[in-house]
Amino acid sequence: MTVKTLLLAGGAVLVGASSANAGGFQVYLPSQQSIGMGGVGVGLSMEQAAQFMNPGAMAMLRQNGVQVGMSATFARVAFRPISGGEQRQLQNSTVTPFNVYASFGPKDSKFRAGISVYTPYGSSLKYEQGWEGRFALNEITLRAVYIQPTVSYAITDQLSVGAGLMILSSGSVNLQRSIALPSAEGKIELDGKTKTGFGVNAGIYFKPSDKLSVGLSYRSKIDAKVEGGNVTVSGITPALQSRFVGDKFDATLPLPATVNIGLGITPNEKLTVGLDVNFTQWSEYRSLRFDFSKDGAPAQVGTGTFSESKRSYQDGLTFRLGGQYKVTDKLALRLGGAYDTSPVKDGYVTPETPDNDRVIGTAGVGYNITENFGVDASFMFQAILKRTQTEAQLLDNGTTDRVAGTYRTNISIPGIGLRYNF
Amino acid sequence: MNLIFKRSAPFIALLGLALGGCQPDLNDDPKSSAGQADFSRYIAVGNSLTAGYSDNGVYREGQLNSYPAILAQQFQKVGGGAFAQPLFPEANANGSGYLTITGFNGATPVLGQVAPNGVVGLGADASTPLLVRYTGTDNQNLGVPGIRVADIATNGYGFNNPLGFNPFFERLLPASDARSYTQYVQERVATIKPTFFTNWLGNNDVLGYASSGGTAAPLSDPADFRTKYTEIVNVLTTGGAKGLVATIPNVANVPLFTTVPTASVIGQVRSAPVPAAIAGQLTAALSLTPEQAATIRFGLFIETTVTTPTGPSTVVREATAADLLLLTASSVINTPSTTANPFPRGLGISITGLAPAQAAGLAAAAPANALPSRFVLDAGEIAAVQARTTELNAIITEVGRSKGLAIFDANTFFNGLARNGLVVNGVSNTAAFVSGNLFSLDGVHPTPRGYAVIANEMIKAINATYGAAVPGVDVTAYRGVKFPQ
Repeated sequence: MTVKTLLLAGGAVLVGASSANAGGFQVYLPSQQSIGMGGVGVGLSMEQAAQFMNPGAMAMLRQNGVQVGMSATFARVAFRPISGGEQRQLQNSTVTPFNVYASFGPKDSKFRAGISVYTPYGSSLKYEQGWEGRFALNEITLRAVYIQPTVSYAITDQLSVGAGLMILSSGSVNLQRSIALPSAEGKIELDGKTKTGFGVNAGIYFKPSDKLSVGLSYRSKIDAKVEGGNVTVSGITPALQSRFVGDKFDATLPLPATVNIGLGITPNEKLTVGLDVNFTQWSEYRSLRFDFSKDGAPAQVGTGTFSESKRSYQDGLTFRLGGQYKVTDKLALRLGGAYDTSPVKDGYVTPETPDNDRVIGTAGVGYNITENFGVDASFMFQAILKRTQTEAQLLDNGTTDRVAGTYRTNISIPGIGLRYNF
Repeated sequence: MNLIFKRSAPFIALLGLALGGCQPDLNDDPKSSAGQADFSRYIAVGNSLTAGYSDNGVYREGQLNSYPAILAQQFQKVGGGAFAQPLFPEANANGSGYLTITGFNGATPVLGQVAPNGVVGLGADASTPLLVRYTGTDNQNLGVPGIRVADIATNGYGFNNPLGFNPFFERLLPASDARSYTQYVQERVATIKPTFFTNWLGNNDVLGYASSGGTAAPLSDPADFRTKYTEIVNVLTTGGAKGLVATIPNVANVPLFTTVPTASVIGQVRSAPVPAAIAGQLTAALSLTPEQAATIRFGLFIETTVTTPTGPSTVVREATAADLLLLTASSVINTPSTTANPFPRGLGISITGLAPAQAAGLAAAAPANALPSRFVLDAGEIAAVQARTTELNAIITEVGRSKGLAIFDANTFFNGLARNGLVVNGVSNTAAFVSGNLFSLDGVHPTPRGYAVIANEMIKAINATYGAAVPGVDVTAYRGVKFPQ
């Protein structure tokens, strides 16, 4: 199978990424092997997904390889309004983030080249009809697919560096909410595709001994820009239709930079332990602004020609710990956990990311069917801790465009991956 | 390879579903409860607000969205029982008739009247309409539009007689029943044996005065108010019922008084040019100096009542920004005169620095076409209304406290609303006319959303007093002012 057909296959199945699998709308599902180990891998050189986690580690891979993986995320959100009304839930939806990695290098060369496709950001949520937050959000689908060609170079046997060009190749946003009218409710849908964006993923990997390795990587910010997205409005009271004339929108969503540090420990041949810390520069996400237009000129939608909603995220840290134990040459068991600090401050929680700190547990199993061909299964469970915001907090922060209440979310993410080394 | 994914997809889906059963549950967090209160039998005592009066009338939709109906619906989640209201039947759903928006003149709504279909004739006084009688014996919403605390002990208040009567009370009583409101409440309490009540009486003890620009009913006397208010609360608590009393909101905050911007109207009137011919005639007739003549301008004039040693007397003066023009004044100011006075209504001539003789001359030669007092709540009347509201609220609070009742301080709440508005679930609401969502087209009574907001505030007070956790409603699910759709 060539890289090209792989990418095409990937493109066809890439249905998106789900409901914020790391703080904010970040999706941290590097590969089935990494997921099984709590998402670690920046300080390891185990697999092709190094291209994403730390391009510097790719040159240390000993084999050419192709690997693909798919996850399915099942998010269960519960919301209870601050007034004490009944609990609201999400309408169940499943999304399937996907990852593809391939790398090649001549035998005994210090260079190695690779290509990868992955989905580092995304969200997909659909709330119960008529829920209290419907004027903030009914439904959101956010997708960002990155393609990354990568080269990596081993300076010495112990030190390697690598860099990739991150291309935001396709992305889209679809946002639907209700419009409050005096004696009716209308609907608005914003739908747009992102422009192509570019960034850098660079890393350095150092393995001072057989038992120890460290890594550092950086992925830059890419602004997901939508220009000329479609605005569709329906159900507006006749007397107020003159307030809903804009039919296009522009918006920019920052997909923030991350700095990742990892440590790998290999006490013996059977056991590998990784420890990662991810720093995500969420403070870039200050507000979400939509500018509305018609025929190229600013045009009113609702109360004005633009809408702006405060986000004021703070930078987030994620701590990951995970390990793999090779029971036999064929069978590997994996276990991990993570704690993810939320970028969303009190009073700023929005329905599109009903966020709080997350406690994450993972498990995985890998099986080598032949010497070259292996399969990996992974499972991740995330508990997004209970988060309550009051009307007073919304008033204090000027964030009354969202809803006061309590959120609590569980996410289950099973996944399966295949790898072929040659 | 694709095939393998296709084959494994159902397995993954199944696994996910099994594990996805981890639906978090917040319903017991906290659990709804009645606390120390018992909502099994609830009755509501009050006036138009309690009856669900809206858009200048009582009609079925308004009744269905009365705050007692909303409260009862929420009480049912914590052990409350059924709640019977004296609804107009479907066939008479328009009740006493009500105001509606028929269209728009630019951005200004044009109001029209929906004809009553709940009127069955004319009373013995030949002016009061008789409304479809509620014949049920189960009534729990005892709201009577128009009733003051001053009226509750009055026998024959709902008796169809030639001297006049309250048609909204008349329709609750059996025909030719001369009982007072307090006696009616006594009977209801004895029959229903309420475990919980709300009492929101008192508004009309100041509103009638205010909404007539100080021309109709006087402000109620505090001593009489105390006696009667205490008595009705005693009646309600005889069986040991718990309950809530609510204070009187400052009426000057409602759209009836705040929609017409006095300062801006004054500004517009003043900037209208006085025709040179009039200025010339006045200058000659009053022998004005050039300095005086230069100050000739139009002004907005109002009638006010002042107290003199010989009793109240009507005085015409120029309006100031401290006077509140009623909503009804907007269709009167600057319209053609309906009297011999040639000036448009509300307008007159103002000249600065006149000697007394000149002023008398001006008043004789070109008297202002002053706005009648019923269109203006002047600064003195505002002060009187507010002072009385404070006095009566002190009584309500004192009586409520003495019985350990929950107190909804509607005055504080509506003052805050007038200042800051109220954003709920991302939807902005204010005290503004039409656009604010909370006040109906009569500018005084709430819309269904306004009543839902009131119900939620009462629930907060009840929860706090009785350690209960009665859930509130999603007020955004209730409509604001009805727009043609």
